[in-house]
Amino acid sequence: MSLKQLDVRGEICPYPMMKAVQALKRLKPDEAGLEVITDHAPALETIPTQAVRLGYTSVIEETGSPEWTITLTRK
Amino acid sequence: MSEQSAVEQSLAGADTKSGSFLERVSPNVRMGLLAGLAALALWMIAMGINSEMGLFWAYGLAFGFVLQRSRFCFASAFRDIFLLQHGRTLKGVLAGLAVATLGFGLVMSKQVPNPSLGFLPPEANVLPIGLHLVVGGLIFGVGMVVAGGCVSGSVYRMGEGYLASWVSFAGILVGLLVTSYTWNWWWDLSIADGWRIWLPTYFGHGGAIALTLLTLLGVYLLVVWWESRSGMVIPETPFAGSDDEGFRARIGDNLRQTFVHGWPAVTGGVALGALNVMFFYTAHPWGFTGELSRWMLSISNGLGVGPGELLGAASLPGCTLDVSESGFLSHMFFLVWGMVMGSFVAALFSGEFKIRRPRQNRRYAQAAGGGLFMGVGAALAMGCTIGAFFSAIPSLGLNGWVFAIFLAIGAWIGTQIIQRID
Repeated sequence: MSLKQLDVRGEICPYPMMKAVQALKRLKPDEAGLEVITDHAPALETIPTQAVRLGYTSVIEETGSPEWTITLTRK
Repeated sequence: MSEQSAVEQSLAGADTKSGSFLERVSPNVRMGLLAGLAALALWMIAMGINSEMGLFWAYGLAFGFVLQRSRFCFASAFRDIFLLQHGRTLKGVLAGLAVATLGFGLVMSKQVPNPSLGFLPPEANVLPIGLHLVVGGLIFGVGMVVAGGCVSGSVYRMGEGYLASWVSFAGILVGLLVTSYTWNWWWDLSIADGWRIWLPTYFGHGGAIALTLLTLLGVYLLVVWWESRSGMVIPETPFAGSDDEGFRARIGDNLRQTFVHGWPAVTGGVALGALNVMFFYTAHPWGFTGELSRWMLSISNGLGVGPGELLGAASLPGCTLDVSESGFLSHMFFLVWGMVMGSFVAALFSGEFKIRRPRQNRRYAQAAGGGLFMGVGAALAMGCTIGAFFSAIPSLGLNGWVFAIFLAIGAWIGTQIIQRID
């Protein structure tokens, strides 16, 4: 089971969240989840919120300054 | 979901115990302190010119700091209701409006002790209602969602290093100028005869404040009901402190919660509402598109290509198009750039500053177009989400509510548009 990657660095509000939701909806059955790389702090609130609604849990890790990797996996 | 990081650890001073203070803290804190010192130096320069400019610079820093820390975005408040069925930011806005309503009410009751005589408080944002406000609200609502931030949102994101926000800001300036050429036509059409309805005239001070607070409560209940229909309401990410109960660790937690972790929207809203009351008590309600228009009008008129005389503009409060000749460095100039600086300092401390280029060039066009719409709309409505809304509803003017309704409709249209732009 692999994690798909999605890089939304540089995207303006609210595209990081919209792109993440779009990618989650397009995940194939053999993909365990999605790794979103973002530099947009508001997305740390919006992406996990929308992911829960689609049945995913999220873990946020700070991987740069400012950069975060949000790992979304199926519940 | 904690945001524990090297930044936070070093702020607490937990990782190293040796070396000077500056060596122990992280680069972010060092940069933040440096920018803070620069802000202080500019404050002293402003104070040197005159104390009012220094005061407005300090207010600007405070507004910008709070906007950045709470990621306070009016565009998302209206947009996310439709896009996410989520009212997190809107609840923060409502809390701020409630605080400001009480404070403004108190200030205005001293200014106009007997409101039933029909006098209006001179500085409060009680503005004419008419077609210009409807059109202005709609256009502004579309523009803020397409640009990805309203005027105050763009200003604080400029300080965070979003290049698209600088482009939005330029679009706003052009949009304000565009409307100024049509101002006299709008003045005859609906502004001159527009109703300026101040609720205390009809309900007294107490009645108007109670009515406004009850309406805000009603909107809050509506938001909660709307959220509950989406089936799942997710609480805000709480701040996760360290397990250490020692004094140093506790203070470190306080510092991280304030300077690194994002504030809850309600905290931001209440802080902005309180600052707005203080600002009104000192000068006039918070707002700055009037100042932005002043830059554009003095430049264009100076070049001989400006709109010239604007009928009645000087007779209205709020962020009306402003042609006054008060020189380049006005106190309001310091407020606007103080907000950018305040956000810059806050972004450095929290490690959220970064020069961000949009991934696609079409985002620049989106930012410019959205900005242009915001400028056109703000000039018609005589304010942005701050002057015509966040300062107007607490001014107990009916115009704030009218603007809010059309702002929401415009935001809905904008939400439809952005979902069609990849």
